Amino acid sequence: MSGYAILLLVAAIAFGLSKLLRLPAIPLLMLGGVALRTLANELQIEIDPALVRETIELGLAVLVFTAGADLSPRRVKGRARPVLILSCAQFLLLGLAGVLTARWLGYEWMPAFYIGSALSASSTLVVVRHLQQRRQFFEPYGRLVVGVLLMQDIFIILLIVALQAIAGGPLECSLALLKALALGAVALLLHRRLVPWLCRRFSADEETLMLGALATLFTFSGVAYLLELPFLVGAFLAGFTLSAFPVNGLVRGMLGSLTGFFLALFFISIGFVLTLPTGAMLLHGLVLILVLIGVTVLLVTALAERLGYSTRAALEAGILLSQTSEFSLLLAFVGMGAGHLSTELFSMIALITVGTMTLTPLISRDSITWRLMKLHPKPRLKKANDLRTLKDHAVLLGYGRAGRQTVQFLTEHGLEVVVVDDDASVIRQLRERGHHALKGDGSDARVLQEVNAHHARVVLCSMRRSRDARVALDTLRGGNAKVIVRTFEPHDAQKVRVLGGLPVNTAEAATQNFLKWLESNELPAKEPRMDTNLHK
Amino acid sequence: MDGLSEVTLLLDLGYIILAATAFAIFGKRIGMPSLVGYLLAGLLLGPVMGLVAIDHSLELIAELGIVLLLFLVGLELSFDKIRDLGRAALLLCCFQVGLTALGGFAIASALGFQPLPALFLAATVTFSSTVVVIKLLDQKGHMHRRYARLAVGLFLGQDVVIILALTVLSGLDAGSSFELGPLIKNLGVAFGGMALLLAVALIAARYLLPRPFAWAANSPDTIFIWALCWCFLIVLLAHEFHLSLEIGAFLAGVAVAQLPMHEDLHRRLHPLMTFFIAVFLVTLGIRMEIQDFGTVWVAALALSAFVLLLKPLLVFTILTRMRFDSHTAFHTAIATGQVSEFSFILLALGASSGLIGGTLVTLGGLVGLVTIALSSYLILHADALYSILDKRGVLRFLGAQQKTRTEAEATREGHCIVVGMNAMGRAITQALTQSGHTVLAVDTDPRKLADLGRAETFIGSVEYESVVEEIGLRRAHLVVSALQIEDVNHLLAYRCKAYGVRCAIHAFDLSMVEDLLDLETAYLLMPSVDGTVAQKEVLVREGLVQT
Repeated sequence: MSGYAILLLVAAIAFGLSKLLRLPAIPLLMLGGVALRTLANELQIEIDPALVRETIELGLAVLVFTAGADLSPRRVKGRARPVLILSCAQFLLLGLAGVLTARWLGYEWMPAFYIGSALSASSTLVVVRHLQQRRQFFEPYGRLVVGVLLMQDIFIILLIVALQAIAGGPLECSLALLKALALGAVALLLHRRLVPWLCRRFSADEETLMLGALATLFTFSGVAYLLELPFLVGAFLAGFTLSAFPVNGLVRGMLGSLTGFFLALFFISIGFVLTLPTGAMLLHGLVLILVLIGVTVLLVTALAERLGYSTRAALEAGILLSQTSEFSLLLAFVGMGAGHLSTELFSMIALITVGTMTLTPLISRDSITWRLMKLHPKPRLKKANDLRTLKDHAVLLGYGRAGRQTVQFLTEHGLEVVVVDDDASVIRQLRERGHHALKGDGSDARVLQEVNAHHARVVLCSMRRSRDARVALDTLRGGNAKVIVRTFEPHDAQKVRVLGGLPVNTAEAATQNFLKWLESNELPAKEPRMDTNLHK
Repeated sequence: MDGLSEVTLLLDLGYIILAATAFAIFGKRIGMPSLVGYLLAGLLLGPVMGLVAIDHSLELIAELGIVLLLFLVGLELSFDKIRDLGRAALLLCCFQVGLTALGGFAIASALGFQPLPALFLAATVTFSSTVVVIKLLDQKGHMHRRYARLAVGLFLGQDVVIILALTVLSGLDAGSSFELGPLIKNLGVAFGGMALLLAVALIAARYLLPRPFAWAANSPDTIFIWALCWCFLIVLLAHEFHLSLEIGAFLAGVAVAQLPMHEDLHRRLHPLMTFFIAVFLVTLGIRMEIQDFGTVWVAALALSAFVLLLKPLLVFTILTRMRFDSHTAFHTAIATGQVSEFSFILLALGASSGLIGGTLVTLGGLVGLVTIALSSYLILHADALYSILDKRGVLRFLGAQQKTRTEAEATREGHCIVVGMNAMGRAITQALTQSGHTVLAVDTDPRKLADLGRAETFIGSVEYESVVEEIGLRRAHLVVSALQIEDVNHLLAYRCKAYGVRCAIHAFDLSMVEDLLDLETAYLLMPSVDGTVAQKEVLVREGLVQT
């Protein structure tokens, strides 16, 4: 019991620091594990090695299971092509860069292959949390990044299968992959047919649902074990089996606390088992971090731009994918178990993970993105012939869901409208309909200049991020144009007013419309109320 | 650290979970409590098939279950609730322990046991299982009821007596002479520890915990880990004073129960407890030794009858004399009708000290199995049993007062639920409240629930089934979600569709619209689209377009 208490104490400190410093919890948990080991050695405190080993064992199963449960194909709906291209290209090319760098640093082929593979996966846990915190999950680049992360998890799982069987030669390796794919096919069948049917047919209470989910985990792990596959493959596929809606939603609440508990202890235990790499290895780790960040940002930015994303979105995607993953740790752990990697090399990969995960929130700030935008050799600012000459026109920054109505209203009232949006397909469609449109970022001063926003009659901001609207307001200050900004939270509206803009409170507008709908569609309440204005 | 060469714990857990799931699902079909199913699963895995043997790791996981269970019980108790029943529980405990022990001793002597084994058997039948009863009351959703609090108070009192008994027993080694000095010292440490823990819980509740927990209120992961850490530290402290895990975890829970987010924490921790406690109950079955059951069954039957019938009768009589109403007295009494898992420890300790024979351990195990299984049915169907006995006048015959205090379930019905207190959620809550609706505002962050006027508030996430039940979603008039979390919105729409409740959901991205319409969402809140009208008004008002 004291072992659990100590691990939880370290976890509590790591979570507190994570909140205080606004850094991801995972690297702090791992560093907490490292500190715990040092302290335990110094103070002669004994931490049961069996507890640490079993925590890692359970944590791995939970980690992979949770990743599988998040693997809903709905997440990449409508973006399968860019996701597939980007994920394959990034995984292969970054992996290749990693392997070559490792070879250049003097590692044998097998360790170099592990290093390359570890570098090529990015952290779903860190990136998804980052996107959720910044409410960018639904931005085009957010969806692209999430899709890429899901594909990377699949690649790593397949790699683990192949590497586990590599000693038996290519035939055994292929056979293992085939077995994994066959188990995957069973999981897909259950995911599509059986699980949703069971969910519709039987209503299970919380306890049965949780046990059912865990029983799926252990059944698949057991089958994988019988097929001589790593049990983690079974755990991953078990998660995938439950990733269909609404099952995933129903089990998520219950598994959330299990995941939170086991993952916290898992990352501390991983930190605890790390051995301090040599000075040369630390230097190698630094080189590999630089290669990882440099190649990812360049590669993803270039590819995403080619796939139709704006420069800023492409850069943000590149920066956000610039860290190694918890699955990299998994891969390295399996490699260490198979005797392919030394404990020092495992520690180096773990430290790269700690380093890059810690760097993620620091380098994915808007200010860094803007600096990189300025360094971009070929900003994708297509010069539109006649936009600079427009005057007394309307500029719509961000087309969004209401763009069509807004453009129609403005043109009906005799205003020429220019739409600025970062979505290439939106721009293409608008041009096909004969509208002025420019692909770009509405908060970019050069873009605003390009559409002569300073001399417009009105600029309407409906960009997703409130900060972008404030930047645009700041840029347009002193010009002729009145700037109308859509806001959701009252404090954003206040900021817009301070900067001289005219806020449109969308939350209030939605509330009014909702109340009108309710008034016209009110059903008798289940319990009669004495005072109900809406019945009048 | 050699990677994944050994996965023994996972294998054991795999067997346990698979067997527990199979028995739980099968049990549901035939109306068997899941708890009985877990015990049977344990019997199958251990004594029958020999697939799983209890080792240190499984023991630890089972202990985690007990710790979490008692922590959750503590989490539901405010100081007022403790004050309300604390004295009564203490008094009940004194009478119950004394009288049941006497009765048990008498029965054991009548069955032909020598005084010392009879004493051990008396102790065995005296104590009830905190874990079993709380698990069942939790399953019934009755943990907040008066009788449940009284029962918990009684069981914690029993825990103190058990600690004293174990302390005395550890000083009674058959091979050595009895020494009074160390015994008094140990008892002093136990009582001193208890006083210290109580003081720590009180001080922490008032001064230590509120500020940091308020600071981290908007970070549920941090709160979750902090609460667990606090719980385990207090458990460790309890352990240092030779107190039970239960007492430490309970007091840790009581301290956190005084914080505003205690209900949300309870819901987050509940699934974790469910997992660990299932493992604990299966391991309880695995530990059973069934090979000698044939030789002890007569005594086991007699002792089981005492535990199942006479012990509850005794408790019922004490409570009615203490002027508790018939309902509370009956339900509390029924809850005591089984032996505690501590009894097994007590017997095992006695056997290892050479004070009693090994047969007594088997006898205790069989009594435990019978009484835990049968009392599960009694507790789960206590309401029906109460109605029957009340109608037939049996309870009045036993001297019970009429039920004076009804504890109707605080059910919500016909209300509007608004989830997510962002600008839109708050505006809708206020508008609905002003128009006379009964509104329940739900959010995970207590700060966002402040200043909502007449609206009721609820801290929690609608992802949890227990929250859905507590907010009365299936009986709601209307459900509104202003959340900007796609998965939760989908799940809410799905549940509303299943319950036939109208819902309005925030479709903050176009990609959500189709799915939400498929889920028969009555109204889609789309602020960006609705804002167009307001935007037009601004354009006209500012003279930017000609009307």
